[in-house]
Amino acid sequence: MMIFRKAIPRRTFLRGAGAAIALPFLDSMFPAFALPDQQASAARRFSIVFAPNGMNMKDWTPADTGRSYNLSPTLAPLATYKDKMLVLSGLNNNEGDAWPGEGETAPHERAGGVFLTGVHPLREGRTGISIDQIIAGELGKHTQLASLELGLHTSDSVGNCEKGWSCAYISTLSWRTPTTPLPIEYRPRAVFERLFGDSTDPAVRLARIHKEKSILDSVTDATLRMKKSLGGGDRNRLTEFLDGVREAEHRIQMAEQQTGEQLPAMEPPTGIPSEFADHLKLMFDLQVLAFQTDMTRMITFMTGPEQSNRTYPEIGVRDVHHSLSHHRNDPVNLEKLSRINLYHSQLLTYYLDKLNATPDVDGSLLDNMIIMYGCSMSDGNGHVLQNLPMLLIGGGTGQLKGGNHIRFNEGTPVANMYLTILDKLDIQADKFGDSNGRLNLLSLA
Amino acid sequence: MLKNVMTCTGVAVLFIASNFCVAQQPVASADSTFRESLNSYCVTCHNDTLKTAGLSLQHADMENVGVDGAIWEKVLRKLKARAMPPAGMPRPDEAFYNDFAAYLEMNLDRYASKYPHPGIPDLRRLNRTEYINSVRDLLAVDVNGESLLPADNALSGFDNMGAVLTISPLLVEQYLAAARKVRIVALGDPDMHPGYDYYTVSNELMQEDRMSEELPFGSRGGIAIKHHFPMDGEYVIQVSLLKNYRDYIRGLVNKPHQLDIRLDGERLSQFSIGGEKYGKTAQLFSTAAQGDFDQEEYERYADKALEIRFSAKAGTRLVTVAFLKETTIPEDPLYPRHTVYDYSQYKGGEPGVRTVAIGGPFNAQGLGNTASRDKVFICDPVASNDEKCAHKILTILAHQAFRRPPTAEEMRELLGFYNQGQREHGFEAGIGTAIERILAGPEFLFLAERVPEDAVAGDVYRISDMELATRLSLFLWSSIPDDELRSLAESGRLSQPEVMQQQVRRMLDDPRSNSLTNNFAAQWLNLGKLNIVDPDIELFPYFEDNLRQAFQTETKLFFEYIFRNDRPLLELLNADYTFVNERLAKHYGIPDIYGNHFRKVSLVNLPRGGLLGQGSILTVTSYANRTAPTIRGKWVLENILSAPPPPPPPNIPGLRDKNDDGKVLNMRERMEQHRANPACASCHKVMDPLGFALENFDAIGRWRTLDTASNTTIDASGSLPDGTAFTGFDGLRKVLLEKRRDDFVLTVVEKMLTYALGRELGHSDAPAMRSIIRETAPDYQLSSIIKSVVNSTPFLMRRAPGRDDL
Repeated sequence: MMIFRKAIPRRTFLRGAGAAIALPFLDSMFPAFALPDQQASAARRFSIVFAPNGMNMKDWTPADTGRSYNLSPTLAPLATYKDKMLVLSGLNNNEGDAWPGEGETAPHERAGGVFLTGVHPLREGRTGISIDQIIAGELGKHTQLASLELGLHTSDSVGNCEKGWSCAYISTLSWRTPTTPLPIEYRPRAVFERLFGDSTDPAVRLARIHKEKSILDSVTDATLRMKKSLGGGDRNRLTEFLDGVREAEHRIQMAEQQTGEQLPAMEPPTGIPSEFADHLKLMFDLQVLAFQTDMTRMITFMTGPEQSNRTYPEIGVRDVHHSLSHHRNDPVNLEKLSRINLYHSQLLTYYLDKLNATPDVDGSLLDNMIIMYGCSMSDGNGHVLQNLPMLLIGGGTGQLKGGNHIRFNEGTPVANMYLTILDKLDIQADKFGDSNGRLNLLSLA
Repeated sequence: MLKNVMTCTGVAVLFIASNFCVAQQPVASADSTFRESLNSYCVTCHNDTLKTAGLSLQHADMENVGVDGAIWEKVLRKLKARAMPPAGMPRPDEAFYNDFAAYLEMNLDRYASKYPHPGIPDLRRLNRTEYINSVRDLLAVDVNGESLLPADNALSGFDNMGAVLTISPLLVEQYLAAARKVRIVALGDPDMHPGYDYYTVSNELMQEDRMSEELPFGSRGGIAIKHHFPMDGEYVIQVSLLKNYRDYIRGLVNKPHQLDIRLDGERLSQFSIGGEKYGKTAQLFSTAAQGDFDQEEYERYADKALEIRFSAKAGTRLVTVAFLKETTIPEDPLYPRHTVYDYSQYKGGEPGVRTVAIGGPFNAQGLGNTASRDKVFICDPVASNDEKCAHKILTILAHQAFRRPPTAEEMRELLGFYNQGQREHGFEAGIGTAIERILAGPEFLFLAERVPEDAVAGDVYRISDMELATRLSLFLWSSIPDDELRSLAESGRLSQPEVMQQQVRRMLDDPRSNSLTNNFAAQWLNLGKLNIVDPDIELFPYFEDNLRQAFQTETKLFFEYIFRNDRPLLELLNADYTFVNERLAKHYGIPDIYGNHFRKVSLVNLPRGGLLGQGSILTVTSYANRTAPTIRGKWVLENILSAPPPPPPPNIPGLRDKNDDGKVLNMRERMEQHRANPACASCHKVMDPLGFALENFDAIGRWRTLDTASNTTIDASGSLPDGTAFTGFDGLRKVLLEKRRDDFVLTVVEKMLTYALGRELGHSDAPAMRSIIRETAPDYQLSSIIKSVVNSTPFLMRRAPGRDDL
């Protein structure tokens, strides 16, 4: 290691090297805890859970507002968390509405494209950076993975999306840049491997870390030997390589320091559960694990793609979800739609229960997180982008107080909520998407 | 050693019009012969005051042109293309063009043979393809490169260019991860957890016929998978079928279908699936209709039953999943691909395979005997720690991976890794750890060429035989040298001309040389772009993945045929045959071709033949909804005429599809409006006419005589910059062959040399290119060009970097 301490010139970027710096986060090779600031105070984390096709709003929206509101039928399963939950009504995806002359086509594409961006989506796949990616840019500085984008569907949706529209609007909500959608991962094993490699067993992880460390040491020596034997012009590329090796060593050292932490044991998932609920719960398990081990602080999770066509035989609904969302006010359709919405609420409690039971600094993960649960439209029948169903759950490291149903003034962009969430996460911003102010969440009184 | 000895006949073959050889004995002073014309036609712009395009010829030395090679090679190129003086300026006569070009060429080449200037390739790493191929040859494993490493940047059209094969921290980590994954696949991992691999069939692929040569005869649709079974044990195959957007399995209800699953040709299971098994179905085309309750369930979830569990031995095996072909064959296999409506609402047609999941190992029985384990474990350890056996294994692996014998120091380090792994998990783990180190290290990843100790800056020298072996194998195989090549290099015999010639022949005969088709030709001809073109579904409803694949296959087979059979190079442009299957034959309007396999067919009397009439190239040079004469013209300039146009200026207005008075314009009219702008005209004048000649091919390469958008007859007339007029595909082809054949030969040589060297070419490579062209005349077969390339100055030699090179 003596040689390694020699000053190595800063990386010389040659032609094409620009691409190399665009991916600052690891593909999970070095599973590790990164809990540097958790000793002092709890980490801020944000979790988005999305449900497709809107809701039956009659059964979703509580009749009354204020602290003494009564839970609606669809929200009833969340009774345990009523005090840790805000029901927000009157928020809007206004930018998703078609512009004059654009035609009314592609309602689901528009809804998906605007939901987390607050920017009017264009046919070919150009919208804005999504809120989760703004957050990932900041919170991701502390973790191995900036963010995770998860779902239960393949992003292969050729033919599902409206002609000429980017299929990404249907299959993902996350946009790293206005033109770069991030694909969702639906395979539990792949998520596990991104987080932990093969195993959560500390001994296995430590052995792997040691092996990789010694390989990198030896690679460093060999590269220096090679560098010495070569003419001057050839050394630049080797310097690049040495810089890469050095960064990898740095990450490994970080990981090594943190293997002392107790990792919850979990077997790597084998395949993709064939039942919806099993698949969903497994993905929730992985999300809890990712937050708990501080592998990331930002996760976006889609329980279905926009315009989902899932059927739910397990609750007696054999009709396609999307078709039901076009209920035409038929009471039979509306009842079935509500049954699906209710089922989703029940499954959400599985996630909340786990977060609530996982200790974190000064309480549980739930106390320190903000979980957003909602849809990109309200009434699917008319693809209405106004008055979205929206919940914020969790304590937000003491920044958020639940137990309220708040109705906002007509026209309030949902982007105002995102801006407010940025405040709660200590991220500076004056504007996001079409925001025109912040929300008064009445919760810090 | 250098073969570019100048002869007058050599010049005469290439430049037919030249009478220079006859006139030049004895040689008159160049200054007196050419200076006057140069001054009157060139120096008016290219003088010390104006320095147009950064070039002054006012005081350029015309006697010792080799010294100013950078200048004179530029002049030579313009002279030969008749590209200067610009249109509208007075031009010298043909004799001046020919004589001055011949003079420059002869003297530049003479100088180059006296003072070779081979260039300095960048130290580069293996690219992804080379890494995967090298791992295949080193450890006898096939791994999926796309899941291991990121795609490489390309430069000059190729992805093996040292200048852009950069290294990021992420890549270093991916190399580490890749080494680990390769080790697990190669040696097996007794502790591995069962997992699933998913193989998906595109839902734009029509599964109407036998899909590949690896599927059983009499099968329809499905997929053939080369799957690596990591251990002896039990495995599971789950098949899901193609569904429409309402989640109905397509083609299920008409009757039962037989799905056949095989492992290495042996049937594992045959499922019968489909029909109205549980009640009445609803109509096939519907947005909401529902049939009987249980039948509805069946139509959505019947494929959940398509699961089998079986035992398999470790190794790479062929899994096939396909339907048995019914006796009733559809009369016309041309179905439009699924439209949105079709896809969302239609549940008829024929069933297709969507995904095959292979999971395991369950109840693993052991690591088994695989090709890679046989290749690695060449000795049996007598104890759990047999360092002698480990030494033997690792010496052989390191030798092959490093393309040279490992040093004692390197072996000490590798044995250190062996011991580290061995202490924890035994002999095999020790070998595995050392393999990971080999694969992650610079000795394997970097193609370093050493500068001789006594070389001073600017010295020119031959590369060593071992370096030559690596250059050869990367060029011809995209991989590392094999034992034969390496041992010839180590005994110093590889550079002997007859040995080298025999080795090149052997390497070209080896299947690994397919990389010349799959990497070189596919990249030269932009075939990769075929994977991402997306023709408008309403205008081209018949464009589906079958056609996409057929295009690719046609061009590859065509190139392969000309390459393997030593056909004259120009057949790439004027062949009267091509390769089609039924799907492609229908597209081209060739009758009486049945079945999914490709065969050679005659194109006599058909307006096709050669690269420019192939669907692949015509499609990648079109927009989604229309042809793009400019792109086609640019493609011809870049890939046929070696004369790429400069990049377009910023802020270009788009084409207008209607006139001010609302009249719909045809393509030629639109382009003519665009060219009214002088800033655009200078380049478009050159590009567009070439593309117009191909207007009889629509945006997916179908022959047409009518522009349907504007309802006007296609006008396929065009002209070269020098005024030569031609009409249509045939006319363009004829002109290219008669007037521009040298440019085409030069293009191929240039591309080949670029690919062989992994660097951009410069003026000092021009003599080598001319020498290759002379040596391979008159037929310029690809194999001759390859042989000439590997004997060229830039391939055999290297220059010690001087101050100018840093």
